Amino acid sequence: MQPSPLRIVIVGGGSAGWMCAAACAQVLHPARYSLTLIESDDIGTVGVGEATLPALQDFNKLLQIDEAQFMRETQGTFKLGIEFRGWKRPGESYVHPFGAFGQLWGGVEFQHFWLRARQLGLNPPPLDEFSCAVRACARNAFEFPDTHSVRSTFYGYAYHFDAGLYAEFLRDWATARGVARIEGQVVDVAQESTQGDIKSLTLKSGQQISGDFFIDCSGFRSLLLADKLGVPWEDWSPWLPCDRAWAVPCERSTDFTPYTRSTAQKGGWVWRIPLQHRTGNGHVFSTQFVGEDEARSTLLAGLDGKALGDPRLLKFRAGRRVQAWKRNCIAIGLASGFLEPLESTSIFLVQKAIQDMLRLLPSPEARGVDERVVREFNRRSDELYERIRDFLILHYTANDRIGEPLWDHVRHYELPESLRHKLRLFDVRGHVPYFKDGFFSRDSWLAVLFGQGLMPKAYDRLADFMPREQLDARLHDLHARVAAEVAAMPTHEEIVARYCSEPRFIPRVMTS
Amino acid sequence: MSAAIRDPGMREVVVVGRDAPLWLSACVMQYALGPAGVTVTVVELPPLAQPADVCITLPALEPLHTRLRIDEARLIAATRGAFSLGRHYVDSGGKAPPFFHAHGSNGSRIDEKEFLPHWLLARRQGLNSPFEEFSLTAAAARAGRMLLPDAAIDRFGFTDYAYHLPAIPYAAWLRQLALRRGVRNHWSSTLEVRLDAEGAIAELLLEGDRRVKGDFFLDVTGGEALLASAMGVGRESWRESFVADRVMSAHSAPVSPVPIYSEVRAHARGWVALAASQVCIHVSQAYCSDLAPGPADLAAAAGIPLQGMVVRERHPGRRLRAWEKNCVAVGEAACVFDPLHFLDLHAVQAGLVHLLPLFPVQSDFSVERDEYNRNVHSAFERMRDFQSAHYRLNRYGDSPFWARARGAALSAELTHKLDAFRARGETVDYEDEAFTIDDWQALFIGHGVVPESYDPAVDRTSPDLLKSELARILGFIRQKVDEQRSHSDYLRDLSRVSGA
Repeated sequence: MQPSPLRIVIVGGGSAGWMCAAACAQVLHPARYSLTLIESDDIGTVGVGEATLPALQDFNKLLQIDEAQFMRETQGTFKLGIEFRGWKRPGESYVHPFGAFGQLWGGVEFQHFWLRARQLGLNPPPLDEFSCAVRACARNAFEFPDTHSVRSTFYGYAYHFDAGLYAEFLRDWATARGVARIEGQVVDVAQESTQGDIKSLTLKSGQQISGDFFIDCSGFRSLLLADKLGVPWEDWSPWLPCDRAWAVPCERSTDFTPYTRSTAQKGGWVWRIPLQHRTGNGHVFSTQFVGEDEARSTLLAGLDGKALGDPRLLKFRAGRRVQAWKRNCIAIGLASGFLEPLESTSIFLVQKAIQDMLRLLPSPEARGVDERVVREFNRRSDELYERIRDFLILHYTANDRIGEPLWDHVRHYELPESLRHKLRLFDVRGHVPYFKDGFFSRDSWLAVLFGQGLMPKAYDRLADFMPREQLDARLHDLHARVAAEVAAMPTHEEIVARYCSEPRFIPRVMTS
Repeated sequence: MSAAIRDPGMREVVVVGRDAPLWLSACVMQYALGPAGVTVTVVELPPLAQPADVCITLPALEPLHTRLRIDEARLIAATRGAFSLGRHYVDSGGKAPPFFHAHGSNGSRIDEKEFLPHWLLARRQGLNSPFEEFSLTAAAARAGRMLLPDAAIDRFGFTDYAYHLPAIPYAAWLRQLALRRGVRNHWSSTLEVRLDAEGAIAELLLEGDRRVKGDFFLDVTGGEALLASAMGVGRESWRESFVADRVMSAHSAPVSPVPIYSEVRAHARGWVALAASQVCIHVSQAYCSDLAPGPADLAAAAGIPLQGMVVRERHPGRRLRAWEKNCVAVGEAACVFDPLHFLDLHAVQAGLVHLLPLFPVQSDFSVERDEYNRNVHSAFERMRDFQSAHYRLNRYGDSPFWARARGAALSAELTHKLDAFRARGETVDYEDEAFTIDDWQALFIGHGVVPESYDPAVDRTSPDLLKSELARILGFIRQKVDEQRSHSDYLRDLSRVSGA
């Protein structure tokens, strides 16, 4: 006999909530799991132009969402990486691409050959000219990575989109597939007396919603995990002191970049995210180093189009809940932690949590939560948060903005040991970390380490196998091929117009 | 070349040891660092390998051989070795059902989702077939067929193979290769290690007052770790985790056809492993000296006539620091494993593969040393966990040996891995694993750990689709196994190719 369905209740309807609902609706069997999402029309969601990582393609593939349709619905554009302006020092910039620098030769990483060429006095071109993605950014060009003929260097791509529109798109998608949406504001949470599991929620209207498993997507409030289950906060603001952001859209400018721009400022940094219909902007800053008013002025003064409305202020702290899953409640998105969007990781963290959760959800037969799988979920979540944290700190700590209090502070504070060790390995021999799940990749580390101006003292001796003349010739050949391929790419503007805007008739929701 | 602009600190590498681990290390160092101007000198101590000894490898050795440009056909012909598609575990007492740990994937994806949760779901719907029945590699092994992937097999899953290489000819082959490629060697039956004022190795004193100096040393002297011990590097014993402290090796007459897998048979006092080469059946037996069986017991346990019996002590444990000052301990010198999974040569390989990208580029290499020690420490612990799991989960009855094995302590990482598997069939995949998720699944399920629940994504697979897909997988396995050559034919064809 089939047990009754396990009732999953999702609290919060931002992009985290609706991504969660959509993935559950796609993956879980409707006779075994029932899905309810509670969202309040009164509570605004965060989201003013969102930049993502290439992994979002997997998420959309899971939902079998057509890419062109998705981009049309969310005003999406393509993203090949992030430009960091002024992070090393004012006037200098670099791109962290979704792609490789050069190629492996004989199994040895490219940076070692490049470093060797420098030491031999061969004057190789700058490292980032060996990246198709970086050079495409410099030309505002875009082309899909080619799966047939191999490009000179590997690259991937992500999207910029309007997260609010994405949430709406997924709402339609999910509700058409059986997710029950309830409008209302949660005012009370009832727990079982014995174990402390959450039993039911009471809405402002008086309606009671019972459930077996609760997903807290309530954003910074963390209504269930923090407020009710009392999971403590681990504060990372000593390393990542930014605690506010002003956000404002502006009119689209002619500079239609296939990348996000992050520009360092006195008290933080400003993001710029190009969408089809406008440009998203925001200033992430630390109130320790700049006042709210000044930060607001900085943001508005730097816009390259007319502001569309007044800037909105967001408040946050860097850190995370020490357990993302406790009892019968998982927090996903901002309810589980916050890391500033410097590397566009917010949506990725949501996506990864959803994937892990789906594999580890309680079964309708067992119903109760199994601590053994909870520990595995939390282990993965901790690992990911810490890896992102270290990578973000790297951007701050390696700067030459001497005499600016924020930048002096982050240049001198004590680093987590895990990061300090990685920096030493790069310094002595150009060695970069490798993680099995590829996050962040070697090339990402290379981009930021070199971009922030660090230069290894030596290279790996394994790169010595190639004779000097051959090294010189291969570098020149690769450099020329990258340039030629990028020169043939259409502009980002052309390709977005062609790919996304042509009126193809695709029903908005493909079920009856 | 570039020597002028680099600190020329590390130019002379001296590799000290014996047998196949010594020569594999010398070949790898020479191949990878010779072009960087590093010279590799070997100090060869008297070999300890006996005719009964065999190197039972993991699949990872084949790609290393390829990097070294070793011709497989010639190697197999010269050593009269054999291939292995996995290992069969049997309980002589008949208490636990046998299982196969194959070097390949378990089952095949169904509806683009993983196989294991589908198998778990099918069991709830009445399926009786054991997990390993869905392993193409295991099926080929049982049928005595070599298995080489084609496009259809690549779509189905992955398959790999390992070797049984008779230890003496394998070492001789590698020795020849190393010398041909420019490794210099000194033979000595004695070794004295001279340290400098900082406690680093200054020189080695060999028989006949010969001195060998070097900048950097590899200690491949086996469990005694002659160099690391002379430098005072301590050792952490794993005695508490493993019961066996003796290994008896012997050989028996060859059989035809040559089996393409090894077999481990548990009996009340320990276990017997049988691995075939073209030369003989290599037999090894592990037991505990306190629970002392006599030689007659040992001979009887194997069930076949044995020759050339040698008994060696075995004390599992790890050197506290594999890399100390200017010396890296490799293989058994760094870590002695329980004999069960024949991890010695893989430990050599892991030690070298971790070392190459960290090989010193200047005289201060403390950062590389710390990174190396952390990485190999963790790699060795994950290998040890695989062994611990086998002993902990055994269902081989209440004899003192196996009862004690069930009581051994587990690492926190393994405890968690076992918990997550038992609860959900989820295999925790740590950063430095030597074994794949398929290996762990085969081990856990082989020992009767059937997950209590499964990935809910497979609920979407209808019972009809599940049934037809399982049938399709079994059909594919039958068809592909039929298409393969027998191991014996394959060995014969290889020897023709090699011109031997």
